[in-house]
Amino acid sequence: MSPGKTKGIGPYLLIAPAGLLLAIFLVLPYLNIGVMSFRVPGQGTPYGEGFTLVNYARFFADSFYIWQVVNTLWIGFLTTAICLVIGFPVAWQLTRPNMRFRGLAYGLVLSPLLVGIVIRSYGWTILLGNNGLINRTLTNMGLIDAPLPLMYNALGIIIALVHVFLPFMILPIMNGIQGIDPSLEAAARSLGASRATAFRRIVLPLSMPGIQAGCILVFVLSLSAYVTPSLIGGLKVKTMAVTVVDALIDTFQWPFGSALALMLSVTGAIIVVIFGRMTRMKWKVA
Amino acid sequence: MSRPFLTGYCLLIYAFLLAPILVVVGASFNAGAFLTFPPQGLSFRWYVTFFNNEVFMRAIRTSLWVAFVTMIISGVIGTMAALFHVLHARRSKDVVRIAMLAPLLLPEVLTAISLLFFVYAIGIGTQNMVGMIIGHVLITLPFVFINVSASLESFDPSWDMAARSLGAPKLVRFRRIMLPMIKSGVIGGCLFAFIISFDIFTISFMLKGVGTSTLPIQLFDYLRTNFTPEAAAVSTVSIVLTLTVVIISEKVLGLRIHRF
Amino acid sequence: MTEVSIEKLTKSYGNARAVNAISMKIAEGEFISLLGPSGCGKTTTLKMIAGFEDVTEGAIRFDGQDVVNTPAEKRDIGMVFQNYALFPHMTVEQNLAFGLEMRKVPKPQMRERIAKVLDMVQLKGYEARYPRQLSGGQQQRVALARALVIEPKILLLDEPLANLDAKLREEMRVFIRDLQRRVGITTVYVTHDQAEAMTMSDRVVVMFGGRIAQIGSPTDIYERPENHEVAEFVGQVNLVEAKVESVGEGTATVTSPLGNFILPTKISVKPGNMVSLALRPEAIELSMATAGQPAATVLASYYSGALMDYRLKLDNGDELHAQTFPVNRFAEGDRVALHAPAERFWLVGVAQ
Repeated sequence: MSPGKTKGIGPYLLIAPAGLLLAIFLVLPYLNIGVMSFRVPGQGTPYGEGFTLVNYARFFADSFYIWQVVNTLWIGFLTTAICLVIGFPVAWQLTRPNMRFRGLAYGLVLSPLLVGIVIRSYGWTILLGNNGLINRTLTNMGLIDAPLPLMYNALGIIIALVHVFLPFMILPIMNGIQGIDPSLEAAARSLGASRATAFRRIVLPLSMPGIQAGCILVFVLSLSAYVTPSLIGGLKVKTMAVTVVDALIDTFQWPFGSALALMLSVTGAIIVVIFGRMTRMKWKVA
Repeated sequence: MSRPFLTGYCLLIYAFLLAPILVVVGASFNAGAFLTFPPQGLSFRWYVTFFNNEVFMRAIRTSLWVAFVTMIISGVIGTMAALFHVLHARRSKDVVRIAMLAPLLLPEVLTAISLLFFVYAIGIGTQNMVGMIIGHVLITLPFVFINVSASLESFDPSWDMAARSLGAPKLVRFRRIMLPMIKSGVIGGCLFAFIISFDIFTISFMLKGVGTSTLPIQLFDYLRTNFTPEAAAVSTVSIVLTLTVVIISEKVLGLRIHRF
Repeated sequence: MTEVSIEKLTKSYGNARAVNAISMKIAEGEFISLLGPSGCGKTTTLKMIAGFEDVTEGAIRFDGQDVVNTPAEKRDIGMVFQNYALFPHMTVEQNLAFGLEMRKVPKPQMRERIAKVLDMVQLKGYEARYPRQLSGGQQQRVALARALVIEPKILLLDEPLANLDAKLREEMRVFIRDLQRRVGITTVYVTHDQAEAMTMSDRVVVMFGGRIAQIGSPTDIYERPENHEVAEFVGQVNLVEAKVESVGEGTATVTSPLGNFILPTKISVKPGNMVSLALRPEAIELSMATAGQPAATVLASYYSGALMDYRLKLDNGDELHAQTFPVNRFAEGDRVALHAPAERFWLVGVAQ
């Protein structure tokens, strides 16, 4: 770009509002929540005076919370894995040059993003409930006697989460595959590779960055999902995010809720970093 | 995988993606008092109930208002940031990008909690909608930024140079060359911010004040205790509202919104 | 009509010097080409003249007036970009009107000038088209028209033909050259295509590594290159090793496998020096070998319609490239005699 433009403070005025907004209302609050997790629990107030480690001690002392973190991570992992397995072929097909109805299919993939998460989760309760569409249909057809337990358990949560986050898997993978020069696959074929081999040796390794991005996105999103587990899981199955929000909204335990939220986030972040390292190594070698 | 097999598989996935949405729309026309299958005939009674339900109507008005204000603020701030990012940032380019996308990368629930504590700490509280709108701006900002940046990236710097060589001063170049070129990115980003804001749940849930429930919040509260198809009618209206915005932007304005 | 003078013009990026203290004078109405491989600094030089790059050191004068601190939009230049940079949201007419509007030219006069320049580039009737509705060649001519309609002091062209196909490129060369002659505008043309530079320019500036290797007429550049780099960059060349026997007043007597010659030289040489002689392939004539003539064996021959190319091997093992009209043809393995007149040899450097 032309040099005259970067002189003076003019350009910085462009970034100032966004910068200030993020600094004040994102960075400071995140620092604040870290501090909050060390606050003394309040009596009749959200938090008390002074600092303590008691909130973290309470987390580690109670296997209930640790199991809940493990459970949440497990649900997040399964959601991510299922999204990858069912999302990749869709992303693959959407990037084929000769695909018909591409616009329509693309719109379908995006459609869940345009419908609020409450509505989508609500749709799943209609489908999965004991008196829901699936159980009713199966009963009426005489295939089952008692309703299948599809809701108020991890299965229901995962089904709904996969639905909610599938677009976040498909879109990055699509971006990744689109970035691959189609002549590379042709070159591999011309060198004698079968379609499957060309896919495995050329397309798959090169689409790894997209896969990685999609996996991280879906994993993080499912860890922090609140609406879906709350509506589908009901009171029976709670993920960590639900417990945290309830601890804050219903019982006003701000310091403990902060500690729980941070424990979940930090564990999730560590897993993401390890996953990032592992996959990067893999496709460097490949 | 062979082609027909792949096609069939993908059709199944598309059905899976659409199923819950179609079910909601279908349920809204159920004449019965509860969500029963098969439905007890077709009727608009739940729409009538909904339109007469002041709580839901107020929630819709709140949502539209919040989304509108959010769109304006995010639109202006995000466009300015994108202009800086593409045109002026050099070494700070990556930092600016990551910072602008941060609200998208951080777990929304954690952002919501942090913001809740913060607005109490600085005395804004949740008595009014300020905290909630700040949260909505944070969440929608990346979408405006991405859209405007994308349209700026396809802006050829030589257009600007050509205009300079023809004698156009800076402001004229911005108004006559740059703005027409990025207009679709700005409008697209704003409309997308509107849609996202309209659907935001967690932030609104944590930061809602008394009587400032948005539609998703009201729906969520309702669903915890009620099972009538009224919720389906509310949902369907919400979907139609969103679809209208999308169709206006993509068909009438000919925009292609960048979601990522 | 404007005279441009460039003095010790330098552009540094950190420690790297993209353009290194170059100086030149461009006469009124002259067509000058900056020729060189990519990264030689030719485009940077053009951008400094245009005002799109800051000048690290040195001066650029339009009619004696230093413009280094004048912003691009005030320099009164016309520029044609490699990708044309036509405004996609404006019609041809609006593109052409833009520069005139900046100069506050009254409407009727504007219309007149646009019509005139569109006539010049043979695009009458295309006023209402958008750039995307035009072919590459037409876009190119609109870009040219847009630069010319403001009647700028100088015209700058940055590889304007690079995106056209070969045939159109040759047509446009002639078109631009003729147009420039008619308008009489001082023109700086950047290209990496030596044929383009040769056919269009009054003078060619050959640049390597941010420096000027040679400034001269196309004939000078081709027939009297100042060093072997220029000789090799502009057209094809054989570098023949020779030994200096004696030195005279601006001349040197040399012996080479192709014969002994007295050559003019600008380079100072001493008897006993090994030197390189540039010899263009088309300067070599071939005939059936006879005794007493320098001879060679045909290694390979290539037919390209108008010409024949031969790869030859001299008896001392050196290879040579010769280009002739396909009148007498020789086959692989034939023994041929070489004739090259002394005036076609040019001394380009002392061998290390």
